[in-house]
Amino acid sequence: MAIEIRPLEQFTIERLIPLHIGSVDVSYTNAAFLMTVAVVLITALIMLGTRKRALVPGRWQSLAEMSYEFVADMVETNVGHGGREFFPFVFTLFMFILFANFLGLIPYSYTVTSQIIVTFALAAVVFIGVTIVGIVKHGFHFLRLFVPQGVPAPLLLLLVPIELLSYCIRPFTLSIRLFANMLAGHTMLAIFGGFAASIGLLGVFPLGINILLVALEVLVAALQAYVFAILTCLYLSDAINLH
Amino acid sequence: MSENPAGHMNSPKGVALTGFEALFMVRRAPAILLPVPVSIVALPRMSESRPPDPLARLGEKIDKARAERVRRQPAVGDRSAMQQGLGLGVRIGIELVVAIVVATGLGWAIDRWFGTRPWGMIVLFFLGVAAGMLNVYRAVTGVSGPVGFRPPDVGAAASEGRSDDEDC
Repeated sequence: MAIEIRPLEQFTIERLIPLHIGSVDVSYTNAAFLMTVAVVLITALIMLGTRKRALVPGRWQSLAEMSYEFVADMVETNVGHGGREFFPFVFTLFMFILFANFLGLIPYSYTVTSQIIVTFALAAVVFIGVTIVGIVKHGFHFLRLFVPQGVPAPLLLLLVPIELLSYCIRPFTLSIRLFANMLAGHTMLAIFGGFAASIGLLGVFPLGINILLVALEVLVAALQAYVFAILTCLYLSDAINLH
Repeated sequence: MSENPAGHMNSPKGVALTGFEALFMVRRAPAILLPVPVSIVALPRMSESRPPDPLARLGEKIDKARAERVRRQPAVGDRSAMQQGLGLGVRIGIELVVAIVVATGLGWAIDRWFGTRPWGMIVLFFLGVAAGMLNVYRAVTGVSGPVGFRPPDVGAAASEGRSDDEDC
């Protein structure tokens, strides 16, 4: 009866194809493999879904169109008309996170978004991109983002650092939210799975909880992709629709 | 699950039945996920009772399904409100904690670089608390707009009008 429960084992990175360039380890890992799968699946969905261009969409075309419309709506309502040009970016981001999350739910696969470096890289791209967009669109005027209106000058001394800080914290909150949700959810699944395996017949109870948890995780996977995309939209809207 | 699509297809002239159907669907809203594909699948079967313009009828059906969906919205509302609440709660926790941790860490790093121990950490800790509070306040009131955005005259109206502007 000595089944070891190692709930964190699922997050280990394994080198599938060891590769080194100079002293840098650029091995093709299981995380990289899952990312490749996600990208291939998304491309396949969109390419195959839009190939027929039927007036009455079939299943795949419906799926492709629904995802397109969903993100297009999100960009339209949150950024406004100036956000149309950023639709491809938000769409890519949303689909990638959504597929990475869902692929992670398949047993024995790997959850890419449970690695903070992955989510932080995504969030950093958003953060840097939004800042560049703001500077390009508004130039020096972009710094007014940090100056609240109608505030007496002495208070600005205090408020501007606070605003600056709360702006710089964005990539951290954005990445930690996604990472923490994924890590916690999958760890919990593994713990209850371990219980179910180790306590014999009574294991049906943790198994039942696990079934409910999987349902919750499906919700969380979709919700977190949505949250990431919508926060990207809101940040973009900050930079584009400056007061 | 299996009887629901049947209930849908058995009403070729759904217009007469809409009242009943709507009632039906409000009660079972979670079970009926995609009314649109069902009606598309059902289309060929009913083609004998109506004049032959499949596209016009399809448009009609889609419009009807959309209207139905809009009408059904409130029934689903309370469940998704709970989910949104959950999302908002998680967001607030992370917002507050991360702001403080990141700011304090930044202060610690500044102290190490400039040798100003303990002051950088102390000052940035309090700034972090303030920034975290500010972010939470913005997340809750729905004033999720620009970081320093609070137009002086529209301020009160904005916090009311945009509070449903959802972002969990």
